[in-house]
Amino acid sequence: MAIALGIDLGTTNSCAAVATPTGVEFILGSRAERVHPSIVAFPGSGGVVVGADAKRYRLTEPANVIHSAKRFIGQNIRAPLVQLALTGIRYKVTEGPNQQPIVTVRDRRMTMPEISSHVLLYLKRCAERQLGSAISDAVITVPANFTDAQRTATKEAGRLAGLNVARLINEPTAAALAYGFGRNQDQLICVFDFGGGTFDVSILRINGEIFEVLASDGDFFLGGDDLDRALAEVLAAECSRVLNFDPRQSPVLMMKLMMGAEAIKVHLSENDAAEGEIDGIDLPNGQVGSLPFALSRMQFEELIGGYINRTIEVTKQVIQQAGLQPSAISDILCVGGSTRIPSVRQRLAEVFRREPNISINPDEVVAQGAAIQAGSLSGAIIAGTGMGARDAVITQAHSPLLYGGAKPQAALVRPVLLDVNPSTLAIQTAGGYAERLLDKNSPIPIERTRVFTTARDNQTRVEIDCCRGESRRYSENEPLGKLVLEELPPKPRGDLKIEVSFRVDADGILHVRAADVESGQRQEASLHVIGAPAIGDGA
Amino acid sequence: MSSRTDVLLWARRITGLKKSTPHQLLEIAPDAGLDAAQEAFHKIARLAHPDLHRGLDPEELELVTSAYAMIANAYQSIRSHRMATQRLPKMDPVEGAAPAPVPVTPSGTAGVATGVAGAMSSKALIYYRKAELCLKRGDLRGAMLQLKMAIGTDPGSTFLRTALHEVEAEVRKGP
Repeated sequence: MAIALGIDLGTTNSCAAVATPTGVEFILGSRAERVHPSIVAFPGSGGVVVGADAKRYRLTEPANVIHSAKRFIGQNIRAPLVQLALTGIRYKVTEGPNQQPIVTVRDRRMTMPEISSHVLLYLKRCAERQLGSAISDAVITVPANFTDAQRTATKEAGRLAGLNVARLINEPTAAALAYGFGRNQDQLICVFDFGGGTFDVSILRINGEIFEVLASDGDFFLGGDDLDRALAEVLAAECSRVLNFDPRQSPVLMMKLMMGAEAIKVHLSENDAAEGEIDGIDLPNGQVGSLPFALSRMQFEELIGGYINRTIEVTKQVIQQAGLQPSAISDILCVGGSTRIPSVRQRLAEVFRREPNISINPDEVVAQGAAIQAGSLSGAIIAGTGMGARDAVITQAHSPLLYGGAKPQAALVRPVLLDVNPSTLAIQTAGGYAERLLDKNSPIPIERTRVFTTARDNQTRVEIDCCRGESRRYSENEPLGKLVLEELPPKPRGDLKIEVSFRVDADGILHVRAADVESGQRQEASLHVIGAPAIGDGA
Repeated sequence: MSSRTDVLLWARRITGLKKSTPHQLLEIAPDAGLDAAQEAFHKIARLAHPDLHRGLDPEELELVTSAYAMIANAYQSIRSHRMATQRLPKMDPVEGAAPAPVPVTPSGTAGVATGVAGAMSSKALIYYRKAELCLKRGDLRGAMLQLKMAIGTDPGSTFLRTALHEVEAEVRKGP
């Protein structure tokens, strides 16, 4: 039987797992680590180094170390937030065909899916070594608010790594699956997923084996990286003041301050104050200086307060979109490393008037859910030789999740994930308006067809511009691409009926069809997606 | 779990029902609420979610996916209607109407149709906005209070009275 791997492909860290008859087994790196940095290094000495081993090149060769590729995958490089994110990295990114970002290391040009495929390939190889068997299928998780282009690009990364991507699932949904699978209860939960680069919050109803997402929202450019950067900026200002040297001109030094900031952040999650020195700062006069710092937890919380407020605002909005009161939620799952920050937990407790659940491992739970879904889709979790129903339940020994008297079910059924479309999908109509076809938070897979007509007499060509976003004005939304219908029969305006169908598949990817109703002639065309790489592009 | 034949028969039947209402597709009573729709949707998902039928031929799987996608759309139309009526009734912008130059709430619905809101005094409008915020929180009684305050400052507005009656009706229906 084929083994399918569950992969949490994160901005800063990735994690992979497989569902086995005795529980979920995590894929270990060369130092037995379960969490692998999503870093790909192309050292000057040659070769490609991925994961924990790649981390050490960050200080010596920052331009050859690609990190946070997830922030750029499937993105239009001209988008303002992407431009902003580019200021925080030390490797070279330029505009490639179709407005996609291209990484250049020495004279090698690579697409973002190529970079991510190195991380996936590394995990695949670790898994093959550990399990002693070839792996061809995978379920990969993506942020719930990932766009079409980002999802397509992630699938492409999987393909480049030699993986058949059986499904993309949303990270909060995967966490809910790991939490709720086998509990056999009817409850409403909130998944608060605050990771290294992205933020998502989802409200789900778990009804036996059904996992229905009621509402989901988030911010694609909000994560631990941003908190580190905020603190690194403070350290840089301090460096200018104390050492009379602005480190912002030096990529190596800024990387050092970022790493220092991360360490201070982690320390402050456990302690009330952080004090020490960042040393080894190369000064222009040839001397090596050190930067003393002293920061209390309160000062740090004040510094990052704006970011935390944003996550709490989004959480409140999502509860409202689900049509619920905070009190209806029976458990709040903290997912992602940034939920270790005490003020985040405290603010969540204030919103829900109950303590969030911190008994799950925030770094591993998403991969665990992906593994369960991978097992379910490949049939491995319910059928097969020697797999008794009791054994198929994730066991206590392997799962940090099943606790508090959750008893294994007698007959295990496959989980059914009812996920949602993260934003409203619309087309442009006369006058520049966005006419909505599918609402934000609609269950997927879904299909809706609407009939449109022409605006001019004898119009023989119609362009269908598709967009995502909540504005009624097309220009205020994010363009997705266009579909063109040609050689239409000439008719007076309003007489020609054009049927437009939007289908969002279970991976959250949009498929658009359009047809002239009367002639019955289906003029199907595929959507030209902006920012996504063409298949096999740039290799 | 249902057999292959069962789900294919179901999918053929559903895809033939192009002109049906959402309630008919979900096989629930015409006046059934969101809870009944959700139960029906879960029941169908347990039977016919495409993930449970990955062993089918591509054509058969496409048939099941199409039928399921129609059901998802039916469920969503019941949900979105319910979400809309949780806000102030009759506030939904008419389909295809020109977008009103008012702030757009995060859920994407225009807050107040300008033509209608113009019919009340500015002070009443402030109370009315507060009522809207209460409704968004699901606080029906708070909304009633704010609407009464609005009527107090602008007793002539039939629009506000209609809104109040509708909120009162919601309160009577209970949680």
